[in-house]
Amino acid sequence: MTTKKKAKSTSKPVAKKKSVKKPVKKPVKKPVKKLARPARPARRGPRSAAQRVSGLLVMLPWIMQRKRIKISAMARQFNLSEAELVEDLQMAAVCGVPPYTPDALIDVYMDDGMVIAEVPLMFSRPLKLSTAELFAVSVMAQTAMQLPGANKKGPLASALVKLAPLMPSGAETIKVQLPKTRYVKELLDAANTGERQEIEYFSPATQKRSERMITARKVFEDSGRWYVAADDHLSGEDRVFRIDRIEKISGTKIFDQLREVRDDELPWFSESLQQVTLRVQKSSRWIVESYPYLSRVDNKDGSVDLRMSITSKHWLGRLLLRAGKGVKVLKPAEYKNLVNETATAVLARYRSTPSAS
Amino acid sequence: MAVKISQAERMMNLLALLVDRAKPLTLRQIRQELGKQYPDSDEAARAAFERDKAALREMGIPIETKTLGGDAAGEVTYWVNRSNYELSDLRLTDEERVALQLAVATVHLGAQHGEEALWKLGGERIMRKASMSVNIGLVDQNMSTITDAVMKRKTLNFNYKGEKRQVDPYGMLSRSGFWYIIGFDHLRRDQRVFRVDRIEGEVAAGEARAFKTPVDFEVAAAVPTEKQMLAAGDGEVTSAVVLVDAALAGGVRREFGESFVIRDRSDGSVEFSIPCANLDAFRSWLFAMVESAEVLEPQVMRDQVVQWLEDLSAGK
Repeated sequence: MTTKKKAKSTSKPVAKKKSVKKPVKKPVKKPVKKLARPARPARRGPRSAAQRVSGLLVMLPWIMQRKRIKISAMARQFNLSEAELVEDLQMAAVCGVPPYTPDALIDVYMDDGMVIAEVPLMFSRPLKLSTAELFAVSVMAQTAMQLPGANKKGPLASALVKLAPLMPSGAETIKVQLPKTRYVKELLDAANTGERQEIEYFSPATQKRSERMITARKVFEDSGRWYVAADDHLSGEDRVFRIDRIEKISGTKIFDQLREVRDDELPWFSESLQQVTLRVQKSSRWIVESYPYLSRVDNKDGSVDLRMSITSKHWLGRLLLRAGKGVKVLKPAEYKNLVNETATAVLARYRSTPSAS
Repeated sequence: MAVKISQAERMMNLLALLVDRAKPLTLRQIRQELGKQYPDSDEAARAAFERDKAALREMGIPIETKTLGGDAAGEVTYWVNRSNYELSDLRLTDEERVALQLAVATVHLGAQHGEEALWKLGGERIMRKASMSVNIGLVDQNMSTITDAVMKRKTLNFNYKGEKRQVDPYGMLSRSGFWYIIGFDHLRRDQRVFRVDRIEGEVAAGEARAFKTPVDFEVAAAVPTEKQMLAAGDGEVTSAVVLVDAALAGGVRREFGESFVIRDRSDGSVEFSIPCANLDAFRSWLFAMVESAEVLEPQVMRDQVVQWLEDLSAGK
């Protein structure tokens, strides 16, 4: 225990009553300006005592490791409003063991927009990781190790070795398999350098291959597929491309300015044609599980009414063909016979070559 | 009169006291030490103390207890041993911490556990946007119970396809956007695969170390791939010759590999030999290519495809 340093802090007024301790010593500057900003999205009601305490038990060791940090930065880090963080830290500052003299209190205070922790005393070590946290960190690190460019002998690998003794034995049989898709590494490099790429892309919407110039912005995996979000110089729009449909790729030596794309601004539906409503029977439940939809209504008979955005009539025809009798178009009326039309079109191929072999 | 103090502050003080005092304390002693922080009446104080204790335990703080004998027979003492809840120093280097931060920023799991682990390891949540992300979201009401059971080898009880299942979860796999549990199904007396998102309702877990995972168990091999799914059926025809047009042939070739190619045609289209014992899976795979693919052989399978198309075309 660093009692030496503690001695320095005896200049603080000795407080006998709990209510006149730390806050008096270093008056807290209220971050009025920041708070005047529109509140962050309302995400919950008042926090419970347990939430506040468990939050503090994570934050106190964290701040003691850093000694000082801006209130605003710390609030952002822990997803709290500044008012909430200040409230929690003020509370922590008056906690400790009887008799509540300064040296028996948690040594954290706020001054001039900063949070300052001086002497590690109480709650200076973090709590052990819960099973859910161990699961998360092991799965995330394991997944990151599979990404293009990952160094199998790098710092992530050695961090995992250090974490290994904490892992329960069952962690060994938890695995993540990412799809192996070519060009992911090339597109990631392109997103990081801004180099425009020429690609040959197969679009299922048109059933055609096209040559395009794209500037990759973000490469991501979702539901077992790799995608790239990019500026599409052909259409002049932001587009999401499935990487496994890219047939060829080559750099152009033209470099565009780098731009970041947030996950919530991915242009998934930029090429959407229109919205449709489908009634999906239980037998075709994979549709509900595999495609993004805008809304769903669960019917009493177990069927589901899905409202989804479609990219082309052809795409919807394909979906209906695969699902067969398990799906019916409710809206719009023009697509009610689409499955018949699609089946007839495919049938034409079989009829044109009655005995293909 | 009890002083007005928030429950959160009282909990912090209780924990500080139990950690600080060298010897176990009875509730009477705790109340003496904490002054008026607990209500005056014995009954209300006991109830408040029990609430605080339960909440602290819930967040991973083991509050130990011992029932006294002799003069104080029946009285319970409480204490907390720091080493039981504090994380030992893993001596992570800055580089290792940054690598973990990047992993957590890149891989999305749908819950905050990764960030919480980072904070405990002294790291930070990275705020800037990464140029790559991976979504292996396990957003499920039962997530904590399931992962805890798999990690600690607890038997799970849940409803699946309308039946009560009791499963020893040997492992978990994330593939193609889904999480699977692979384990010994007591109902079927055999190893089975369960999709986490298809579990119906609540999941309950038993005691830790309830079973042993077979030594030769391999998670990835236990869940059939799409290719294997096509072959896993009782259809009489086990494979079909499928002609795929040039536009899609490259993708099919990459998916199945060279050994499934029969021949390349001069127009760029390719004939493949595709497993089709699982008719439903085969149909879904074939029709995903709409008019860009055609079953050539055997005739009985070609007739079957034509039959499907005629039914749909006639609106049956």
